[in-house]
Amino acid sequence: MEKTLDTKSRKLWIRLGLFFAVVGPGIITAMVDNDAGGVTTYSIAGASYGYALLWSLIPITIALIVVQEMASRLGVYTGKGFADLIREKWGIRVTFYLMIALLVVNFANTLAEFAGWAASLEMFGVNRYVSVPIGAFIVWIMVARGNYKVVEKLFLIASTVYITYIISGWIAGPDWAEAAREIIIPPIANQPTAYWITLVGVIGTTIAPWMQFYQQSSIVEKGIKPKDYKFARIDTVVGCVLAVVVAIFITLACAATLHPAGITIQFAEDAAKALRPLAGANASTLFAIGLANASLFAASILPLSTAYTIAEGMGWEGGVSKSRKEAPGFHAIYTGMIVLAALIILIPKMPLIPVIFGSQVMNGMLMPVTAFFALRLVNERKLIGDAVNSKRYNVLAWACVAFGAIGSFIMVSAMIFPNLFGA
Amino acid sequence: MIYITRMMGKPVVDAAGETIGTINDIAISPGEVFPRVTALAFVGPGKAPFMLSWRKYVAEVEEDRVTLQVPRAELRFSYLQPDEVLLAHDLLNKQIVDTQGMKVVRVNDLKLSESRGQLRLLGAEVGARGLLRGIAPGLETLVARVMKLFGRTLAENIIAWNYIDLLDRDLSHVKLSVSHKRLHELHPADVADILEQLTPAQRAKMFEHLDNDQAAEAISELEDELQADVLDDLTDERASDILEIMDPDDAADIIGDLPYDKAEILLRLMGVREARQVRKLLGYRENSAGGIMTPETITVSPSLSVQEVIDRLRATVEEAENIYSIFVVGEGRVLQGVVPLRSLIVSGPETKVADIMSTEYFSAGPDDDQEAVAEMISKYDLLALPVIDEAGRILGMVTVDDALDVLEQESAEDLALAAGRPDSRFGEVGSWLGASTSWVISWIVAGLITGGVMAYFLGLSKEVFLVAALSLPLVMRASDQVAGHSLGQLIEPGEEDGARALARLGIDLAAGASLGAISGLVSLALLQILGRPMTSAIWIGVAITLTIVVLALVGAILPLGLQRKDGTWRASATLVSAIMSASGVALYMALAMAFIGAAGV
Repeated sequence: MEKTLDTKSRKLWIRLGLFFAVVGPGIITAMVDNDAGGVTTYSIAGASYGYALLWSLIPITIALIVVQEMASRLGVYTGKGFADLIREKWGIRVTFYLMIALLVVNFANTLAEFAGWAASLEMFGVNRYVSVPIGAFIVWIMVARGNYKVVEKLFLIASTVYITYIISGWIAGPDWAEAAREIIIPPIANQPTAYWITLVGVIGTTIAPWMQFYQQSSIVEKGIKPKDYKFARIDTVVGCVLAVVVAIFITLACAATLHPAGITIQFAEDAAKALRPLAGANASTLFAIGLANASLFAASILPLSTAYTIAEGMGWEGGVSKSRKEAPGFHAIYTGMIVLAALIILIPKMPLIPVIFGSQVMNGMLMPVTAFFALRLVNERKLIGDAVNSKRYNVLAWACVAFGAIGSFIMVSAMIFPNLFGA
Repeated sequence: MIYITRMMGKPVVDAAGETIGTINDIAISPGEVFPRVTALAFVGPGKAPFMLSWRKYVAEVEEDRVTLQVPRAELRFSYLQPDEVLLAHDLLNKQIVDTQGMKVVRVNDLKLSESRGQLRLLGAEVGARGLLRGIAPGLETLVARVMKLFGRTLAENIIAWNYIDLLDRDLSHVKLSVSHKRLHELHPADVADILEQLTPAQRAKMFEHLDNDQAAEAISELEDELQADVLDDLTDERASDILEIMDPDDAADIIGDLPYDKAEILLRLMGVREARQVRKLLGYRENSAGGIMTPETITVSPSLSVQEVIDRLRATVEEAENIYSIFVVGEGRVLQGVVPLRSLIVSGPETKVADIMSTEYFSAGPDDDQEAVAEMISKYDLLALPVIDEAGRILGMVTVDDALDVLEQESAEDLALAAGRPDSRFGEVGSWLGASTSWVISWIVAGLITGGVMAYFLGLSKEVFLVAALSLPLVMRASDQVAGHSLGQLIEPGEEDGARALARLGIDLAAGASLGAISGLVSLALLQILGRPMTSAIWIGVAITLTIVVLALVGAILPLGLQRKDGTWRASATLVSAIMSASGVALYMALAMAFIGAAGV
């Protein structure tokens, strides 16, 4: 009988749910951070500059933790989503334009994810005309089937696949001593301009605007209460640290192999391919599996998060459990993003590099805006009472936002005007 | 009409024509169906906030300003009264409960109207119109005009004040009009509907306003997966109190879903009798008679008189779920017979129960399947079915409303299956496939995969594949149409004689051929542009024609195969249509690729 099985599986989930009662939003969000765009950027950093950019991941971790911690605190103490709070404080117009921007940016990111999915599966000999429709279908059906709790567990399981990068980085055999030395003493003297631009790229790809929305919404959905906030904070910190550990290993894998060989790359897939002769088939395969997982994982979350956020901000009914009739806007955005992204990636001779590139630029441009909103909200005593930022924390937070904003700004300028910083 | 979004930021001008500030908010006194505006809030120079009595000072509201009756020096400022509600601060952009439509919505704008010198709140605008106006007033006009071109109107969606309940601000101290419908005054099933739309934090707040009886009823009506969550969020004392109030079978369902520790705590806090009942029920499988039965039965000994039984009923009627069947038990609660309430009433007061009880009764075992039990109740028109163990001892009864729930659930599953929309949770993947528009996408995907796999193995170029795929929607539409013809036969058999059926078949074939020709031509043009061999276009056209022909033939034969001897059908209309369309799509792609591949293009 269907119902027996179902009850059993539900009970199992509830038991697991006890374990994962609070854990989840932070780890999932941070893991998805290492998506196709992220893997590409870290690979480029490693291939082009070896271990020389590793140090930057330490301050980036702090900034990431601060931004995500504020989002989760807002979620826990207000019980409302980020878009909801923005709408209530700044009104329709601001929300509307922000939502349009978020839709465009997240769509560009979704495109990048499908590009990553197509590229990684092509490495295993699967034609993209087969892999992309299947991927789109999996993504669509998995999330759309209605039970967020189950989906979240699936996501948590998918998070463990990121370990492939760690193994892959290990197999690549990095020079640990040199890596450690360059983390402790950043080799920032006499670096070319491109080095700084790549650094900014790493910042921009790590702190992405959709992450704030997504983490806050999933915390609200989980109904985490203020008394449990400390667990949510652990969740956030652990997630961010894990995400950066993965990022470090991606960089290490490329730094140990491609960099000495003088191979530069444009896309994550290039890194996976280049690893084969240098670090062996295992490292290469693991890298590609990691990319496929990361792309599909992020491709599931981005459209979902976008649809939730926009429905919330515009006051439409939203949620995977609502029918298309009840929540037309939500479903149109969710399904539309997946279908359109898949179709665009299937256009013959579609240039993928500019797509990835563009999505990172847009992330970078929107990040300071959303971080600014978050900072304003998290200082409102009327909203979250005593959970407002302390003075000291505010200084740190503004510094982190400024760090991200300046970084993003430089990256965007450099991408739009390639000659801005000389050759 | 006056809208709050348009008024905000407009100047406040005193009688002397001097601007003294800009409008910040408007307060209403919420006691009426269309509440009066009572105060005007504005910000003066230096962002200083002020509040004025509307009745005393406001002379006129215009499009671009509010004019006061007196010069600035004569103004006496006031404060916000506790029973006043601020439109912009408390309502605009906030989530409210529409207690008429039973929905949680967001307020996009507030509509006011002036009548006989008084400004009143008409209601909250929650539709697209208010949203567009909020973004830019010009946008509203523009969209309205464009829609008019298409013969549509951009409707307003206004919720009147008396159907609004606020989620964020606690209005319990505010005196609302008699006709005002608050959330907790709704039917528990409606309360449950709304609770399902809220976030956990909002739900917790709502529960504070419900008393235990209301909470118990609302929780019983919630979706299964939410029940445990909601209860888990309440304090243990309140949760156990609520569980005590609920019917034991409902309570057992929820406790069964809670984590073990929490369940134990709640059971210990509950009354001894209630806890024992729930524990007993927890021992049965969820979808068995034991799982849906209530242990609260009215049992009497056969030696009682009718009058004594009626007296007992009066004494215990409060607690019993259903008193229509009285069970006569002997030694050790062994069931001996059943007395319907009706027999009690029509018999003389001195009659012994043993004389009027029927010993021929239906019963179920605790492990019987719930569906079988429900069907038994339905078939024999029972109000309650006793559940007995092997020794014949009565354990409880399944009442007709429990049976209805089961049947509803099962029939929803069956209906869903028939309509291509399985609704059980295991069929959720299927239900997504089934939502009629989702079919379309699935078919396209199925077609693309079929064609893609073939194209891959035949080594065809991407361009050719894509051009072929472009005709998919056409094929889908046509398959659907052909399926429709076949279904006409299915649904209203005997209406068509052989000749007409043949004529219809002919039409289908002709349609197929012309569709083939059309897509062939379109493909030809596309291939020309892409610089690919154009012979593929012919094969695309042929594939379409052939697909339609096959579908039309299958469709003509299908009704014969699907009808059972008793005249019922083996499959539902939707299912047939879905399968026909899906196979049409797959067939077309396969044929097109195979032809093109074989032709060696």
